[in-house]
Amino acid sequence: MITNFFVLSPRGDTILAKQYRSNESSSGKDMGAHERTHTEAFFRKIKFWDDTKSVAEDAEDISTSSVGIESSSSTSVTTKRMGDAPPVFVMPDGLTYFHIRRNGLVLGASSARNVSPNTVLEVITTYVICGLSLIRISFCLSPLLGQLLSTIARIFKDYCGTLSEEALRKNFILCYELLDEMIDFGYPQVTRTENLKSFVYNEPIVVDSVPLTGNMVNPKTASAAAVHKPVISSVSANGRKTTGQQNSEIFVDILERLNVLFSNNGYVLNSTIDGCIQMKSYLAGNPELRLALNEDLVIGKNSGRYGSVCVDDMNFNDCVNRNEFESARTLSFIPPDGEFVVLNYRITGEFSTPFRIFPSIEEVSPTKVEITVLIRAEMPSNHFGANVIVEMPMPPGVTAAASCSLIHAPGTGHASAEYIAAEHKIVWTMKKFPGGAEQTMKVKVTLNKPCTTQIRRQMGPINMCFEIPMYNVSNLQVRYLRVAENMVGYTPYRWVRYVTQSSSYVCRL
Amino acid sequence: MHELRMELHSTDRAVKVDAVKKVIASMTVGKDVSMLFTDVLNCVQTGNIELKKLVYLYLINYSKTQPELTLLAVNTFVKDASDSNPLIRALAVRTMGCIRVDRITEYLCDPLSRALRDEDPYVRKTAAVCVAKLYDIAPDLVEERGFIEILHDLISDSNPSVVANGVAALSEIAESSGKDVMRITASVLQKLLAALNECTEWGQVFILDSLAKYTPADGREAEGIIERVTPRLQHANSAVVMSAVKVILSYMELMGSQNSDAIRALTRKLAPPLVTLLNSEPEIQYVALRNINLIVQKRPNILENEIKVFFCKYNDPIYVKMEKLEIIIKLVSEKNIDQVLLELKEYATEVDVDFVRKAVSAIGRCAVKLERAAERCIAVLLELIQTKVNYVVQEAVIVIKDVFRRYPNRYESIIATLCDNLDTLDEPLAKASMIWIIGEYAERIDNADELLETFLETFEEEDPAVQLQLLTATVKCFLKNPEDTQDMVQRVLDMATEESDNPDLRDRGFIYWRLLSTDPDAAKIVVLGDKPVIEDDTFKLEPALLNILIGQIATLSSIYHKPPDSFVVRRRAGLPTEEDDEDDEEDDDDEYDEEVRDSGAGGVDLLDMGGMSVNDHKQFTPTAPMTRVAGPEKAGGIEVFSGFVQEGGKIFMELEFSNVSAGQDISTFAIQLNKNAFGLSPANQQVIFQPPISPGSSGTTRVEMAMNPAMQVPTPNGQNVNPQIQVAIKNMHNNGVFYFAVNLNFECLFSADGEMEKTAFIEAWKSIDDRHELYATVSDLPADSTSIEDVQQKFAAYNIFFIARRPVPNAEGQEVVYFSMKSVHGMTFFAELTFKRGVNAAKVCLKTEATSYGGLAKSALESLLRGD
Repeated sequence: MITNFFVLSPRGDTILAKQYRSNESSSGKDMGAHERTHTEAFFRKIKFWDDTKSVAEDAEDISTSSVGIESSSSTSVTTKRMGDAPPVFVMPDGLTYFHIRRNGLVLGASSARNVSPNTVLEVITTYVICGLSLIRISFCLSPLLGQLLSTIARIFKDYCGTLSEEALRKNFILCYELLDEMIDFGYPQVTRTENLKSFVYNEPIVVDSVPLTGNMVNPKTASAAAVHKPVISSVSANGRKTTGQQNSEIFVDILERLNVLFSNNGYVLNSTIDGCIQMKSYLAGNPELRLALNEDLVIGKNSGRYGSVCVDDMNFNDCVNRNEFESARTLSFIPPDGEFVVLNYRITGEFSTPFRIFPSIEEVSPTKVEITVLIRAEMPSNHFGANVIVEMPMPPGVTAAASCSLIHAPGTGHASAEYIAAEHKIVWTMKKFPGGAEQTMKVKVTLNKPCTTQIRRQMGPINMCFEIPMYNVSNLQVRYLRVAENMVGYTPYRWVRYVTQSSSYVCRL
Repeated sequence: MHELRMELHSTDRAVKVDAVKKVIASMTVGKDVSMLFTDVLNCVQTGNIELKKLVYLYLINYSKTQPELTLLAVNTFVKDASDSNPLIRALAVRTMGCIRVDRITEYLCDPLSRALRDEDPYVRKTAAVCVAKLYDIAPDLVEERGFIEILHDLISDSNPSVVANGVAALSEIAESSGKDVMRITASVLQKLLAALNECTEWGQVFILDSLAKYTPADGREAEGIIERVTPRLQHANSAVVMSAVKVILSYMELMGSQNSDAIRALTRKLAPPLVTLLNSEPEIQYVALRNINLIVQKRPNILENEIKVFFCKYNDPIYVKMEKLEIIIKLVSEKNIDQVLLELKEYATEVDVDFVRKAVSAIGRCAVKLERAAERCIAVLLELIQTKVNYVVQEAVIVIKDVFRRYPNRYESIIATLCDNLDTLDEPLAKASMIWIIGEYAERIDNADELLETFLETFEEEDPAVQLQLLTATVKCFLKNPEDTQDMVQRVLDMATEESDNPDLRDRGFIYWRLLSTDPDAAKIVVLGDKPVIEDDTFKLEPALLNILIGQIATLSSIYHKPPDSFVVRRRAGLPTEEDDEDDEEDDDDEYDEEVRDSGAGGVDLLDMGGMSVNDHKQFTPTAPMTRVAGPEKAGGIEVFSGFVQEGGKIFMELEFSNVSAGQDISTFAIQLNKNAFGLSPANQQVIFQPPISPGSSGTTRVEMAMNPAMQVPTPNGQNVNPQIQVAIKNMHNNGVFYFAVNLNFECLFSADGEMEKTAFIEAWKSIDDRHELYATVSDLPADSTSIEDVQQKFAAYNIFFIARRPVPNAEGQEVVYFSMKSVHGMTFFAELTFKRGVNAAKVCLKTEATSYGGLAKSALESLLRGD
């Protein structure tokens, strides 16, 4: 239950503002002003998040055990970077704010909610701040709202093509219309793109996508976002618009993000795959689709069965019919328009990691340290890792200089390694890392102080970022994807991609 | 502006649309475009739905500032509400609901009731939400027009989204009115479960939330519902998953222990979806983690084998890392401690200072929690101290102090290492901890006095916490080793008592001084006394609070780990809440104020000021309402009046005997009570009138009553208690026995410890089902019962404790007051009194768990109000 909703630009200007409920604390004429100050205060808060307060709270929790000692809260004030604000917090005005970050943008909403004697919470205010580098929607009904925020972000993107300050500014009327349909009196209503289509009349104004810089892209949405095309103009389902010949096509991504932690001797300490099958559909007429996965897929770690793919848990989109899933591992569904996730899965435990990292450190002299990092690609040689970035933090303040030398396997694209003094880290980049190859980096670090254990500890961990196209670690395969009924002359283009990405691929030093 | 106006009046539709868009654009960025109100309004007369939507958007925004003008649009609304296009019908109903102008609501009712029965489900679902909107503005109207009943009908609608919105609207009304309008019956339950499979993800959340509030009749029903809800755990929407988890957890309680197999199976099923939540975006992870924190406290076995998933990832945001640490500490056990320690040690070398500190303190907390692993934990801490990183050492010192308190006299060997790092300490908390350790183990540290000496050099600049610790530690040191430290103690005491302006420090200094100077042995007992061993604080939420919070999973309270009323302002007709959503700091202030008030009322009025205002009021003392219970013809010539009163915490039966025709002076009687519903019996069976009552005169006496459970007649549940007490009196002069019955006036049984915290009261009030509410209206109040202050005074004399008062929103001159009372049997009663200015009457609403006694308590309040 949301009362307000707004979108602010990175500078804190209001782009969209929608009020669903009246706020009792303010009334009448000063309402508008009141709201503006809210968004301003909220913006300041997230921009200059200072968590001393929450830390003090935590400290309280901890110090409950220190009965005999009069504790005083720590006075150290640490000013934090943007992005350190937890997604849910209360502002002094009693409103609760929730915000999320997407695609380099931050989506947030905030609300204070009222709770009745029993359970249900009531949201007073919801805000969206949005902008080039910052879109925030905040809500209150915690997970519900967090989820809703992502959904709204997705819908805006589906409709406007891209999610950027410019797109929202140009399409603000459309966004209002969407917001109107999506939320009524603070209750989320329809949030499926294809359902919304029949209620929404405004047409999107297409904006060129803003080129996003590499590390701002959220890996989860980056791949399918490659298609920046608003759904509405491509669809002639309701007969209202028939704008020429449209390609009937559907994009399917099998996306796996890896979380792996290696110990310093190369053993895997912790590993999970966080995977999903994501689609973006531009199919005319919304036909029913059938998607078949590996027949010997096993769900549940302890189910006792054996198969080539064993996932811990799997969850499905609303539209998926799972009648034949148990028997034949086939799903049928009518794809909603736009981008959506068909299913998510999670795998923990042993799997063959695509890269293994073997670091070694040698103290040549008290002030000289030599670090060797060997990385071996263990996937088949017809695959390769792309845009590989290996980062290794160095102790700040004591590192005087570091020189890197590389031994590269053949077939490696442009590669370089250097010490970036401002960020105190060594960055090693490779355009291409062929499967089966080995790469080595030797770093000679000169310290301006003798090396102590503490300085030793500040080196590392090694963090690796990469993307492996057309490869997935789990072996989960799409056996086929086809239109359920045979329709004559209906041959949609199907683009199936497999992508493996690093989420947190870390080796301790 | 003028141009815009011209464009608005343009006949070209495209120009018009553009103009309205421009208006809305300026409105959004905060420019005032209200002067165009009428011009924009004119555009509403159009068949174009796009334009109509824009105009409505504008209308909603300015309806607050221009209520008069909005009325002009009413006709359009009414017309649109019967448009042939269902989208327009729904749009009109939705917009009308958003315009919060009182006068518009009258026009809203007819279209709304039509819309609620509309053939198009889209209109029906919009109308359902509109009822909730209307309830927010004019609750009376909703009840009057029977909209609530229609909403009940909508629950059996064929369209699942309509069902979901109906549920949402009813839940909202139930919550804001405090009435149980959303009652789930067996048939409703079936419909909800059926709709659950079909409706949108948000609809599923509404339905699951309302299911969570339902209490299944028995374990089997609970199990049945859980079975239907379990598939929701595989939903991709985290909100649905969390709500499903909430329903399952609350119903699991009801399944009881006889069904341990089913519970174990469920526990297994719950773990994977919860873990999967951690793979979503960091924001949702945060929410999930806060909730998991609660779940782990309630049912640790669900995730006992999953501790690895809570290990922090390199790229987790700091707020996620912090929450993960909390959960790791909750899940740590003998089995996984080695793994955890390795992990925590690794965290302690990270960059983020706050995270490192938390990791270090987590190691200490593991030591406190797991006795057998304590040694390993301490080894890790020592290793970390060796790194000499300032903040690591400080944090380690702080937790080691806790470890010492948990395992006294076991790990002193590490004190030496700590002492080596004295100079790195610069934070007050760390210093204070270290000083405490030195003081506590002064006899084992050879140079304890020297160490303290170094701290004393800067005594004046230290934080008060450090000063206090220094003072205590020095005294401890002196008591253990009086020869060497006499000077030092003298100096510290001087500084504490003469040079400091901190009252705590001064007071403590004086106490020690006096103790030391008069009786050093007593000082030893006091200062060196054994301290209670601290306990593992891992599962630190109280079970009662935890249960409340488990019921609140997937809401904000589960994130703040506070019950909803502690941070939410109630909107209407409900309970009193202060501005609880203010900072904790201010809460403390409130408490402080209350304390001050309490002590002022407590009789010790040092400044002689508190009494002034009180004196203006009449002092009430409880009196027993005397009723004639026996006439002379029955009681051997004696007329008897009787009643009950409480005085000084004791209950007395007051007896007034009139010697009408007994023929002699009467003075001595014996009394016996029959078994009664209250367990009252005379403490002393002899009744003596002093002086004796001569014929023609009368006398009073009181018999002290005792509570005797053996004398209590149990009242069957659901029946009202019989207030009657049957009494037998034996006239010792002529051995004649007579009987009479007297009704107990229940207020005499209210005990003095019935006062409650406001929050506790709210909790209790809410926990009682509305079905157990009792209502009464007392009219023709006497003069001393019309003002709330007077009633409060009067009630206080009867141990009816004032909790809070507040004006009723939206009702001029009405005010509600809340009272609590507790009978000597331990039954608690809660009352809500509503007064209206200028009206000589009050409404009484009483809630209690002890339903049988509720009626009595209610009539007691009534009679007190009436003053009879």
